[in-house]
Amino acid sequence: MNRTFRNMLLTLCTISLMAGLSWADTLKVGVQAPITGSYANEGQGIENGVRLLASQINAAGGVLGKQIEVIPCDDQGTAMAAAICAKDLVNKGVSMVIGSYTSTCAQAAQKTYFNAGVIQTSDGTADSLTENGYWTFLRNSFPNSAEGEFAANYMVNVKKYKRIVVLSDFSTYADGLGNATEAAIKKLGGNVVSRDKIKADSQNFTPVLTNVKSKNPDVIFFAGYYSDGGQLRAQQMALGIKADFIGGDANDNPDFIKLAGSAAEGAFIINVPSPDVLPYPIAKSFIADYQKTYGEMPPSIWGLMNIDGMRAIIHAMEQNKSFDTKKAVDYLHNLQTPIDGITGPIAFAKDGNRKGGAYVVKKIQADGTYFNEYVQ
Amino acid sequence: MDIFLQQLANGLTIGSMFALVALGYTMVYGVMKLINFAHGDMVAASAFVGLTIYTQIMGQAASLAAVIVIFLLTAAVMACIGIILERVAYRPLREAPRLSAVVSALGASLVIQNGIMLIWGPRMKIFPELVPQVYWDFGGVVISLIQVIILALSLFLMVSLYLFVEKTRMGAAIRASSIDQDAARLMGINVNSIIMIIFIIGSSLGAVGGLFIGLYYRGITFNMGWQYGLYAFIAAIIGGIGNIPGAMLGGMLLGLFNAFIAGYISSTWADAFTFILLILILIVRPTGLLGERVAEKV
Repeated sequence: MNRTFRNMLLTLCTISLMAGLSWADTLKVGVQAPITGSYANEGQGIENGVRLLASQINAAGGVLGKQIEVIPCDDQGTAMAAAICAKDLVNKGVSMVIGSYTSTCAQAAQKTYFNAGVIQTSDGTADSLTENGYWTFLRNSFPNSAEGEFAANYMVNVKKYKRIVVLSDFSTYADGLGNATEAAIKKLGGNVVSRDKIKADSQNFTPVLTNVKSKNPDVIFFAGYYSDGGQLRAQQMALGIKADFIGGDANDNPDFIKLAGSAAEGAFIINVPSPDVLPYPIAKSFIADYQKTYGEMPPSIWGLMNIDGMRAIIHAMEQNKSFDTKKAVDYLHNLQTPIDGITGPIAFAKDGNRKGGAYVVKKIQADGTYFNEYVQ
Repeated sequence: MDIFLQQLANGLTIGSMFALVALGYTMVYGVMKLINFAHGDMVAASAFVGLTIYTQIMGQAASLAAVIVIFLLTAAVMACIGIILERVAYRPLREAPRLSAVVSALGASLVIQNGIMLIWGPRMKIFPELVPQVYWDFGGVVISLIQVIILALSLFLMVSLYLFVEKTRMGAAIRASSIDQDAARLMGINVNSIIMIIFIIGSSLGAVGGLFIGLYYRGITFNMGWQYGLYAFIAAIIGGIGNIPGAMLGGMLLGLFNAFIAGYISSTWADAFTFILLILILIVRPTGLLGERVAEKV
């Protein structure tokens, strides 16, 4: 009996000592990202980027004397795993969470972070993310409604398409972008001949595309992710649908071009500018470091957006000389001059939306590179 | 009419892939009365094995000969894995209650799925365009070369399998083992080697199905086996599990049904209607479309 008691006491002491040590010594940064699953490419890009930035900051002495400890959690791109990740990261005592890549996962985790006072910064573009009034949420990308307006203007006024098809999947981001674009097209007097949905990851899109074909469109606008977009484009060409293809921002990934294969040429993608053409010195040096560390380019702009969110939060903590999350967010909401970011100047509106943002239309060339067709 | 014919072509292509995978479920069930849940993941694994054979062994040569070699080598590798799977996961549980074998099958499924993830990584891998993008337009109905290959090769394999099971001595032994293993053993049939043959055939057909997925859709992920496995399993049940022509019929029906629902109603409802169809068929014919009506012995 005595021995059991002593053992328990010892264990308890060890645990509290370990917990105490880690509490005292590090600033814990959570990464919630789809590290496995269909969006693994992007999720690993986010984790790699956060680890790189953390090691750079740690090498320079840390944040207010504390070293950064990165705690990743794989949400697999599913809402269910995202909710578990949120609880797990909060229990591990993180003060900020970078991610997730998809709006669905960011949304599923939002309330948990809000209740715990943990800052969350995500590249999720669904408008609904900033509509709950959670002060903890900072969007490091630009919302769907802005992209929808840009896309609608391009299709209706610049390209003068007469018969537009809008496709999306069922996720928070894609459905939101699809609806925002459809509404913006109608506002401009454009003609949406079909608004259909595909099931993400189902691979077989020919039944839906066959219907699209019967509508005889001049353009297919796809709001959805690259893993489906590339296959959609390939199957569109295989069915002999001669319409143009315009993919929304989440199609901007090298895997889109690989999946579409020879059908990729001529497809358009709308997004903010690519990492390799970012003009800012800080972008050039970070991307060079990334390439040196991981032997590849960041998979897309999204990982870098998340890194900018993290840089902004750490900047705020340093300026405040405090790790208080509420103070850091207040500081960011009231920035007078924007912070220099990898993806451009960073400033936040009171509702957590990132200010600014310009889009480009990129056309995929025969050799798989982009050509900037139209710049806002 | 164009749309109808186009959806028919779409449905037959995807249906023949389902049918090939469904054969693996139904043959194992026929002889062992076991649902081999690992089969879907074997199909996913074969796509990755095929990709590795192409990039590592074939040196990325794209020709007809290369494609044939990839199919043969992948089928051989998967047949070996199938034999190992049976040895390790199922043979020790041959005399155990049926539930233990099912749990073992689920475990094997997880092991294979995570094995793929550990070997090839969690990212989507992309198949090269091994089959040239050639299309024919028949008055609005477009058919591609790869669709023709899938359909022709699937039909050839299914007819050969049917003839093998119905007309050869080995086939007779397989049928005998599926009716009564003990009696078959008394007749001098080595049931162990029959089961091994079943796994070789099932895994090789699954390998062809997996390669079709890679060649047709081109994006392969470590967890895709679950989805294809589920569809193929439903196809096997619709046709009457344990019945070989039933699995072929079930696969084709399921492919066509899916294409028409997605085309004429909505892709949103394709899965829901698939399960409704399954339930209806099970209500009307509990043993599936071609399954035999067996009186339950109490």
